[in-house]
Amino acid sequence: MNVTSLRIGLRRGWKEHLHLVKDRKELLTTLIGTVGVFVLLLLWIGDGQVGETGVSQGTFMTVGFLAFTIFSNGLMTLPMAIATDREEGTLLRLRTIPGGIPAYLTGRAVTVLCQIAVQSVLIVGAGLAMGGIAPPRDWLTLVWVLLLGTVAVVPLGAVIGCLVPGPKAAAGLLGLPMMVLMVTSGVMLPVTFMPEVVQWISQAFPLYWQGLGLRAAFMPDAMLAAEIGGSWRLPWVAGALATWAVAGMLLAPGLIRRVTRRESGSRLAERRLAAQAS
Amino acid sequence: MDTAVSVHGLRMNYGAAEVLRGVDLEIGRGEIFTLLGPNGAGKTTTIEILEGFRNRSAGEVSVLGVDPERGTEAWRARLGIVLQSWRDHPRWGARDLLAHLGEFYDDPRDPDELLAALGLTAQAGQRVSRLSGGQRRRLDVALGIVGRPELLFLDEPTTGFDPEARREFHLLIEKLAADEGITVLLTTHDLAEAEKLAHRTAILVGGEIAVCGTPSELAEAVQAQSHVRWLEDGRERVLTTSDPSQVAWELHGRFQGPVPGLEIRRPSLEENYLSLIGRAA
Repeated sequence: MNVTSLRIGLRRGWKEHLHLVKDRKELLTTLIGTVGVFVLLLLWIGDGQVGETGVSQGTFMTVGFLAFTIFSNGLMTLPMAIATDREEGTLLRLRTIPGGIPAYLTGRAVTVLCQIAVQSVLIVGAGLAMGGIAPPRDWLTLVWVLLLGTVAVVPLGAVIGCLVPGPKAAAGLLGLPMMVLMVTSGVMLPVTFMPEVVQWISQAFPLYWQGLGLRAAFMPDAMLAAEIGGSWRLPWVAGALATWAVAGMLLAPGLIRRVTRRESGSRLAERRLAAQAS
Repeated sequence: MDTAVSVHGLRMNYGAAEVLRGVDLEIGRGEIFTLLGPNGAGKTTTIEILEGFRNRSAGEVSVLGVDPERGTEAWRARLGIVLQSWRDHPRWGARDLLAHLGEFYDDPRDPDELLAALGLTAQAGQRVSRLSGGQRRRLDVALGIVGRPELLFLDEPTTGFDPEARREFHLLIEKLAADEGITVLLTTHDLAEAEKLAHRTAILVGGEIAVCGTPSELAEAVQAQSHVRWLEDGRERVLTTSDPSQVAWELHGRFQGPVPGLEIRRPSLEENYLSLIGRAA
C-alpha cells in the first residue's frame, strides 16, 4: 500500500464515520442498540454485587460491555458494512480505481475504530453517570488491551465480510453466536458462573480475553475471586489476543484480494437478482 | 491508426458453455466503438475481460498496449469504467464522492466543472441515493471520466433512459470523443443507439462477431433482400432481390423508358440487424 492510498483511506474512513453520525437511523440504532440496552441492564441488575467481591454488578457490566463493543464492532458491524458495500457495488467501484482497494480497507478500519471509540465513550460515560463504576486503576493495561483487542478482531471482521454472501446473511449468521458469546464470555456474568465446558469454549474466542484484560484494568484484585484461576492472567490475555490478531492478518490480505478480484459487474447483478428473489 | 484495443481469437468458457468463440476486435484511438448484440450474446463478458475483471480462456488481448490480466494500477488509471446500474456510496454527496474518487488520480478533473458539464450542478450537495435514475447515470459517467481516462468503457449506459435523457447522453459522449479524443467502447442492445453514436460497430451474436464496420458498411455486409415494386397491366408487381439496381435496369429496358409506379425499398439497418440475429439464432 502506498502513502497516497493510506492518506485517502484515512480521510475516507473519517467521512464515512461522519455519514454514520449524521444518519439519524444509524445513530438511533447505535444509541438504542448498544448504549440503550446497556443502560436498561444497568438499571435492572446494576445494583447487585458480584459474589462477595464488593464490586457492583454495574461496574462489572460496564467493563463487559466495553469489551463487547469492540468485539461486536469488529466481528459484526464491520463484516456487515463490507457485505453491504459489496452488494451496493462500492467495493467494485473502488476496484475500478487505481489504489482503490487499499484505501477502501483503510477507510473501513478507520470507520470501525471511530465507532468503537464513540460507543466506548458513551458506555463509560453512562456508567459514570449512573454511578457505580470507578475510573480505571491501570491505564497502561487499559490502552494495550483496547488496542490489541481491536487489532484482534478488525482483520478477522474484514475476512468475514468478504466471505458472507450478503448483509442479510451476515446478520443471520453472526447474530446468534454474538449473543451466545456475550452471555457465556463473562461480559454479563462472571465466567466462573458458567459450567466448565462453557468456560473452555468461551476462552477460545477473543471476547473473553478482551473482557478479562479490561477487568484487570478497572477492577480491584478482590474481584479475582470470580476469575478463572483467581488471576488476571495478563500474559495469556496478550497471547490470546495476539494470536487472533496474527491469524486475522495472515488470512485477510489473501482472502480479501481473492474476493475483490472476483467482483465484477455481472456478479454484482447476479447477487442483486438473488437478493431480490429471496 | 493508433490502436487502443486489440483482441484476437478471444474465447471464454464457463464450464462447458462457450460464451465467446473467437472474437476479433480492433479499436482505434479516439474512436467511438459500439459492441451491439442481443442480451446474452457475450457483450458484458467481453467488456469485463477488457477491463481486467475476468480472466479469458484463450486468445490475445491488448488494452492500451497492456494485457488486462497483467494490468497494473498505473494502467488502471488510464481507464474509465461505467458499469451497469451502480448503487454504490449511497450516503455520499454527489460532489463529495466525485472529489474523493478524483483524489486517486494524478491530474483529476475539477469536480465543479465536471458537475456543470453533466448538468448536475444543482445536485452537487445531494446524497447520491436521492438522485433520479438519469442523474445517477450522469454521475456515473462523471465518476468514469474524473481521472481523465484515455479509454472509457460504458456497459449499457442508457438502459432505462427516456428519449430526452438518451439524446443528451449521446451528445455528451460525442463531445467527450470530439473534444478530448477519448476512446469510447460502449455496449448496447439498441441498434438505433449504435447507429447514432458509433464510428464503428461490431455485432456480437452467439459469442462471435457477425459483422464489424461503419454503419453503411454494416448495412452492406448484412444486406437483406430489397423489394422492387412497379405497375404492369394495371396490377402491382413485387420482386424480392438482393440486387435491386439490376432489376430496375432490366425493367427500364423492358418498358423502354420510365417504369410506372417504380418503388425500390432497401431494408433499414434495423431490419438487417434483426435478420442477422435471426439468421444466427
